[in-house]
Amino acid sequence: MQGASSGVGYGLKYQARCISDVKADTDHTSFITGTLSLREENEVHLIRLSSGGTELICEGLFSHPNEIWDLSSCPFDQRIFSTVFSTGESYGAAVWQIPELYGQLNSPQLEKIASLDAHSGKINCILWWPSGRNDKLISIDEENLFLWSLDCSKKAAQVQSKESAGMLHYLSGGAWDPHDVNAVAATCESSVQFWDLRTMNKTNSIDCTHVRNVDYDTKKKHILVTAEDESGIHVWDLRMPKVPIKELPGHAHWTWAISCNPEYDGLILSGGTDSTVNLWLASTSTGDGMTSESLVESPTQLVDPLLNSYSDYEDSVYGLAWSSREPWIFASLSYDGRVIVESVKPVLSKK
Amino acid sequence: MGVDDVPLDDKAKRMRDLLSSFYSPDPAMSSSNSSKFASLDAINTTSFDADQYMNLLVQKSNLEGLLQKHVEMAAEIKNLDTDLQMLVYENYNKFISATDTIKRMNNNIVGMEANMEQLLEKIMSVQSRSDGVNTSLFEKREHIEKLHRTRNLLRKVQFIYDLPARLGKCIKSEAYADAVRFYTGAMPIFKAYGDSSFQDCKRASEEAMGTVIKNLQGKLFSDAESIQARAEAAVLLKQLDFPVDSLKAKLFEKLEQSLEDLQLKTEEITNVLEDSSDPINLATTNDASIREFVEAIRAYRVIFPDSEKQLIKLSQDLIAKHFEITEQYIKEQISVAKFLGVLRIIWRDVLLMDEVLNEAFLPDYSLGAAQVVVKQYVANTFSHLLRDISDALTVNIHMKVEELPLQIALETSKNAVLKGSMDVLVDFRHFLDDNLGFLLKLRDSIVDWVQEGFQDFFMALDKQFLLLSGRNKSVSQEQGLTEGMMVDKVLAGLVLVLAQLSVFIEQTAIPKITEEIATSFSGGGVRSFENGPAFVPGEICRIFRSAGEKFLHHYITMRTQRVSVLLKKRFKAPNWVKHKEPREVHMFVDLFLQELEAIGAEVKQLLPEGGLRKHRRSESNGSTTSSRSNPLRDDRMTRTNTQRARSQLLETHLAKLFKQKVEIFTKTEFTQESVVTTIVKLCLKSLQEFVRLQTFNRSGFQQNQLDIQFLRSPLKETVEDEAAIDFLLDEVIKQEPDSRSFGLLLEVHQRFYFSLIYMKIVREGDLGLTSLSFMHSFLGRQEFKIFMASFDIFWQAMMDMCLLMEQVIVGTSERCLDPIPLEPPILDKLIQAKLAKKREQNAITS
Repeated sequence: MQGASSGVGYGLKYQARCISDVKADTDHTSFITGTLSLREENEVHLIRLSSGGTELICEGLFSHPNEIWDLSSCPFDQRIFSTVFSTGESYGAAVWQIPELYGQLNSPQLEKIASLDAHSGKINCILWWPSGRNDKLISIDEENLFLWSLDCSKKAAQVQSKESAGMLHYLSGGAWDPHDVNAVAATCESSVQFWDLRTMNKTNSIDCTHVRNVDYDTKKKHILVTAEDESGIHVWDLRMPKVPIKELPGHAHWTWAISCNPEYDGLILSGGTDSTVNLWLASTSTGDGMTSESLVESPTQLVDPLLNSYSDYEDSVYGLAWSSREPWIFASLSYDGRVIVESVKPVLSKK
Repeated sequence: MGVDDVPLDDKAKRMRDLLSSFYSPDPAMSSSNSSKFASLDAINTTSFDADQYMNLLVQKSNLEGLLQKHVEMAAEIKNLDTDLQMLVYENYNKFISATDTIKRMNNNIVGMEANMEQLLEKIMSVQSRSDGVNTSLFEKREHIEKLHRTRNLLRKVQFIYDLPARLGKCIKSEAYADAVRFYTGAMPIFKAYGDSSFQDCKRASEEAMGTVIKNLQGKLFSDAESIQARAEAAVLLKQLDFPVDSLKAKLFEKLEQSLEDLQLKTEEITNVLEDSSDPINLATTNDASIREFVEAIRAYRVIFPDSEKQLIKLSQDLIAKHFEITEQYIKEQISVAKFLGVLRIIWRDVLLMDEVLNEAFLPDYSLGAAQVVVKQYVANTFSHLLRDISDALTVNIHMKVEELPLQIALETSKNAVLKGSMDVLVDFRHFLDDNLGFLLKLRDSIVDWVQEGFQDFFMALDKQFLLLSGRNKSVSQEQGLTEGMMVDKVLAGLVLVLAQLSVFIEQTAIPKITEEIATSFSGGGVRSFENGPAFVPGEICRIFRSAGEKFLHHYITMRTQRVSVLLKKRFKAPNWVKHKEPREVHMFVDLFLQELEAIGAEVKQLLPEGGLRKHRRSESNGSTTSSRSNPLRDDRMTRTNTQRARSQLLETHLAKLFKQKVEIFTKTEFTQESVVTTIVKLCLKSLQEFVRLQTFNRSGFQQNQLDIQFLRSPLKETVEDEAAIDFLLDEVIKQEPDSRSFGLLLEVHQRFYFSLIYMKIVREGDLGLTSLSFMHSFLGRQEFKIFMASFDIFWQAMMDMCLLMEQVIVGTSERCLDPIPLEPPILDKLIQAKLAKKREQNAITS
């Protein structure tokens, strides 16, 4: 189960938490990541996987004013991304654009398109419209959910609507449903809440505690995967929100990040604080269809859902991203600032 | 030559033909017969042409031939002449003899007629005489015949008039058979003349017959009479055209009633059985009644030979009822002896009944019923066992009075599992050993049932464990909600008990049971071979092994979750950026230590102490792990080399200390140390993760520094014999004066302290001291190497923990805007203050 040799590594200067796939870059497999350093000058790295897949090349290195807690790439413009940052005392969120002539410039500055400055508390994350060109953005802080309308040309963002999560609900993150663009899942302390963006009302909730991360299955509707501190990974069918349809053991310590593969149904990647990345194959078929499109022909209960465990990390893994261009490739980021890009092909071909 | 043969043949043929034509009435036949010879030399035919023949002969033959022919012909003619002469002579002879015979016949017929006439005359005279006699006797004979008829009639009348009296006599002498015969003899007369001349007589005899019938009925129903007599009575009654069917029904009712009595008795018996432990007693009472019943059936069969069907049904009902009662009965938990007793009684009854009712196939019938009952009994036994075990688990844990509730729960449940299963096996052995008829037949099935029973039992036990542990949220979706609520209530201790119990089942109970089953329950074979044996110990072991690991993991998760909540509250609540200067150690440390103490207490009750050398690291985690092999094995060197070895050893350990990656996620084992270390490590890791999410100001950082420092030191304080430790540590330091810098040794010093402290947590006092003295003596005499090796496990755990704590502080400093640590004197002062406070509290509570 050792995945030590196959990965391609890349070192960041400082500690880092977040990495994102640059979806809009259709020519290369590239990722964008930013550092988390309280006292040093933070950087945003644009990394490209070389065509042979053997090397990670730094395409661009930009300084970022504050430590980055969340970073996500714009799904329709490869030069635009959003960050959530902190000065230590306060939080901010902004949408940035990579300057066009960065190749020639010595120390290129990021161009701030818009500052999402309606927040007061700790900002958790920014969600882009799941796919395609749309001006909608969601930002989540501890208490509120904001829906923004972004105008790139005018370099402005406006709050379209805002809703408070209510007393005693500290939001911690969220995910935008790729199947239903009006639905957003937001994690809070004791549950996962589902919001309808048209009415900005809570529509549903799943009771599960200590959810660290949540992700929708991009291939299958109604399927949601949650990563929880102690109790591992749960797969939910939103039509039956009482009981998870599947439980995966997760990690030896907390399961921090979770990501569903954009192409292969049931292929789930999880990163944990035990310094490992686990690759799972969880058939999410629920009674109504033993899916023939699932990767493995109806795996029985006895088959270990854990396909592989990548343990070549020195510290907790907080960042995970599947490449949407080459969906068998993922990038992982451990806290010590090490990016490792792996291909799951050898594991899949084994199965 | 051929020419020679032909005429010879021709000659004989011609002779025969000639003779036959002579006697034959149809000349055409002979002519046609010989027509084919009507060639040139066919002399005998009618169409013979002598001239043509001659011509042909002359033309064809030479002289010699002609001459020969001539001679032949001449001879032939002479022969024919003689033959003719002979024939004529014979015919003449026959004529002469016929004439003689006719002449003799004519002479004999003369004188016959006269004799015939004489005879006729004599016959005529005889006839006339006989006619005379007849007429003279006719009148007298007529008279005599008349007289005789009258006499017969009179006798009959006399009989009928006498009938009542005679019947009376018969009744008196109980000769009912005669009475019936007389009566049936007189019946036609009564029928013909009963209304007129013999009215009185008929009435009287009918009255008598009434008594006869009554007596007969009485006889039939009286059990005192012999069966023969009763059967006769029944036959007689039937002869009297008495409605036997109603009698039969009545008798049958009586039988049924007696059956009900019997069943009532059986019920009583079961009641009695519950009270008295003496099944023999009941057997006798039951015995008598069943014997009666059997006798009754026998009688009934004799009396009404065509009533088998009803009887069979009746007896089957009886057996069914028996089994029904037994079924009811075994719903309670009864001992196998009692159950066997009941079965035995039933079987004896069945055999008794079988004697009289062979056609009912009662043994087969009861075999079927027994199969059901025995199967149910087996199933019941297992469900009782299951209940016992879960009772043992839950009841004891909820009894808070006990001093060591978990330990007691574990012991009782262990006992319940092992002894319970063994008892069950012993009980079922009784089944097999018993030579009861149907048990013998059911032997194979019982073996299978027992095996199946164990298989199902352990499966059910596993499920029950899951239910108790509250982990089966996903097992049953319908119960999801209620289970979810239960989870909070489930005690962590119970989960640990379950974990340990699972291990016990896997390692001790299953092998024993397997052995037992192999010795006395092998075979079976009613099940098809494809399914394999019903009891698969390997599978069960696997299930329980994984269950045990799951439960242990679950226990650790439950415990760490509680600490996580604690830590979460601690780190989420304050605004760390605006933290004030640390004044004292935060109370979450106390809570954390309390949790650890609670865990230590639970673990101590249940898990064995880890064999120090048994410790194995899991290979699944990190490439760095595998490279570090057992140092003891690496340097097997002579005593002269010990110094170097020692320093090497220390070096490896120290090198590990500064290694970045902490091996906190090793496989947990079922030992006190392993579990506690795992929990502590997980909690420290959680602490680190929480710290990483915050941003601290200087004071916040210092507060954390203080808290962590305190986490280290109060443990040190709890080790009672400080002097001994100090001595020990001095020894350690003295051992390595040359090769180690003082700083490193100090490091060792500190870590070593902590390992002792940790031991103190785990073992609470006495054991810790024992270990200390143990170590002390070791250090006095033997090499440091051995000490290090034997304490490898502690050493590693301690270093992991220290490293984790350090990492927490490093993590805090990384997340700190202005990381200036607290001055050591202040740190010390604050810690001392806290320690003093704690001592005070302890003094108050104790």
